[in-house]
Amino acid sequence: MLNQLKMKPMTRHLRVALAGNANVGKSVIFNQLTGLNQVVGNWPGKTVERAEGTLHFRGYTIRVIDLPGTYSLSAFSIEEIVSREYIAVEKPDVIINVVDASALERNLYLTLQLLELEAPVVMALNQVDFAAKKGIRINVEKLSKMLGIPVVPTVAITGSGINELLMTVVAVANGEIKLNPLKVRFGAEVEEKVQKIQKLVEERIPQMCAVYPARWIAIKILEWDEDIVSKLKNYEDGAKVLAYAKEKASELEKMHGEPSPVILASERYSIASKIAKEVTTLETPPRVGWEQKLDTITTHKILGYPILIGVILAMFSLIFIGGSFLSSFLESLLGNTLSQIEVVLAFLPHEAVKIVADGVFGGIMAGITIALPYIVPFYIILALLEDSGYLPRAAFLMDNLMHRVGLHGKAFIPLVLGYGCSVPACIGCRIMETERERLIATFVVTLVPCAARTVVILGLVGKYVGLHAALALYIFDLALVFILGRIAFKALPGEPVGLIMEMPPYKKPSLKIVLTKTWSRTKDFVYIAFPIIVAGSLAITALDVTGFIGYVTTGAKPLISGWLGLPEAAGVPLIFGVLRKELALILFSELIPLETLSTVQMIVFAIVTMFYIPCVATIAALLRELGWKKTMAITVVDVCVALLVGGMAYRLLSLIMA
Amino acid sequence: MFRRKVHGDDSWNDEELCALTELAEGEKGVIVKAIGGFGLVRRLAEMGLTPGTEVKLVKKGSFGGPVEVEVRGVALALGRGVASKVLVKPVKDETHD
Repeated sequence: MLNQLKMKPMTRHLRVALAGNANVGKSVIFNQLTGLNQVVGNWPGKTVERAEGTLHFRGYTIRVIDLPGTYSLSAFSIEEIVSREYIAVEKPDVIINVVDASALERNLYLTLQLLELEAPVVMALNQVDFAAKKGIRINVEKLSKMLGIPVVPTVAITGSGINELLMTVVAVANGEIKLNPLKVRFGAEVEEKVQKIQKLVEERIPQMCAVYPARWIAIKILEWDEDIVSKLKNYEDGAKVLAYAKEKASELEKMHGEPSPVILASERYSIASKIAKEVTTLETPPRVGWEQKLDTITTHKILGYPILIGVILAMFSLIFIGGSFLSSFLESLLGNTLSQIEVVLAFLPHEAVKIVADGVFGGIMAGITIALPYIVPFYIILALLEDSGYLPRAAFLMDNLMHRVGLHGKAFIPLVLGYGCSVPACIGCRIMETERERLIATFVVTLVPCAARTVVILGLVGKYVGLHAALALYIFDLALVFILGRIAFKALPGEPVGLIMEMPPYKKPSLKIVLTKTWSRTKDFVYIAFPIIVAGSLAITALDVTGFIGYVTTGAKPLISGWLGLPEAAGVPLIFGVLRKELALILFSELIPLETLSTVQMIVFAIVTMFYIPCVATIAALLRELGWKKTMAITVVDVCVALLVGGMAYRLLSLIMA
Repeated sequence: MFRRKVHGDDSWNDEELCALTELAEGEKGVIVKAIGGFGLVRRLAEMGLTPGTEVKLVKKGSFGGPVEVEVRGVALALGRGVASKVLVKPVKDETHD
């Protein structure tokens, strides 16, 4: 046990981590513990949300880290690696394992792995009320005795049990409660091999045993855990240990006819199942509540789809009505500010005023009046859908269709969001499990015409060529999304992941959670996106003021007029369109009467705007989610697609129209 | 994507074996084996779909969509491709609850 109390300072510091499956109310407990004192960000170098907060309790300052929700601690997802690395390397004083009382067996699977990691665990047996409603009663003392750790029943939504939980955490941290954790032992054949490997690990690579428990390393190599295996290769004797473990694993596999990780998973589950059966009594047969009825209707073979469409339409109307209201409200509020700034700065040279006013403040304005008004309502609705449990149902309905783009059901959500705004859509791609799926989904999402691009499509093609042409463009876009998604799916390395997703029961969303989530996500977005938006805006304004933009357009002339067949003047609007896509059309119309354009030119211009580059805010979101390399890759591919498709459209359409 | 026809496959002489997707809605089966890639088999096991476990097929999505199963007291959605790789032995005694 960690005993750092020798110095006895006035306030003592504790680090506590929350670990648990998804959908067990872990974030609710986190919110109950920390309130608004939380910072949401990313784990260093990872696109995994990291929520951290502090609280004060009986002379203790407790830092709480909300680890990502996982079902296991294998190396399957980044979330799992992040969680176990934190537990093993950072060694928090106490781990609160949040467990869903209504699905004890499955939740214990993670608990057992926490015990394998030899972490100091306190269990929060959550949703005991919901379990009771399902007729499940759990003998808390017995469970605590069997696991050798304290178990505190909680109902996170109401805050019941939270105080006891904190008292227990503190008591464990200062040694008042001694833990006697269950030693997870496997069946004889597995156990023998684990112990042999463990001995070898202790002998050959003691350095690694200083960080991770030796037994845990042994188990992980036996399971052929990619992350640990690759870590082992850094040690001189690593290869020997691995060769030995591989031999043992294949002995096991021969005996059982299953891959070793499956054998170990089965063994853990049988322990979990035994414990769960011992401590659970089923009282009344479960009644059919509103949750089940709602589930039946919303995942119904036929009815499910109109409901889904209804939900999406409602979501969009809310985001757009709310967003455009907020947007125009903020614009009228801040519009004056901009002109006042220009007045205040009038003593400066004209160019400087323009750079500061248009570049810096214009950028901030764009962020506040364009991005935020749509993002905040979006975050609220996303949190509502997340918290109620509807998202997995939508993914269930759309899984098959999404497979055709090389993704699975969960990707449907960010894709739909993409028609509103690419920024939240890119962030929404987090729900995909692996880096590969995330990259494909994000790439596809940038190709979906967002509201700003809709302005261009409808305002140019829809107005002057006809709605049928605009509609054709949308269909064309969908087809391209389909094709490019498939190409990315085929081109990117890695195993495609099928849908394996929990369908948690419906529940009433909690206002507090929805608002807290919205608040922390918005804060996070502002910190990340605003500097980039301002920098981009500043750069383009500076180009404009200094006259450099003239060189750029002259340079781009062969591309714009030669290849795309657009009037030379289209270059400038296309450059400014990077700031916000609808700006491309607005500027274009200032330079050239739109009705003088030929039909082909209009269509080509719309196509180019649709694909050519993600806007600054989207690039900011991409950087945030994927890092600069993948952002560059997506941007370059988008530009190439735009030029390729635009040029081809120009030639083909000219032929057809002629 | 392919769907493996289990019946008639020589390596599976047990003719009672079928893919999870072939169960009727409401029918139960005991998992015998999951076939497919290392990653998939492992992930299924971690979600509780280990050999010897009883699963209930709750619902089949339309248009070849996913299936919903109940395993270890938890509802899981499995893509059709994923579920077709889980081989089960149907539980015969139909005791309706």
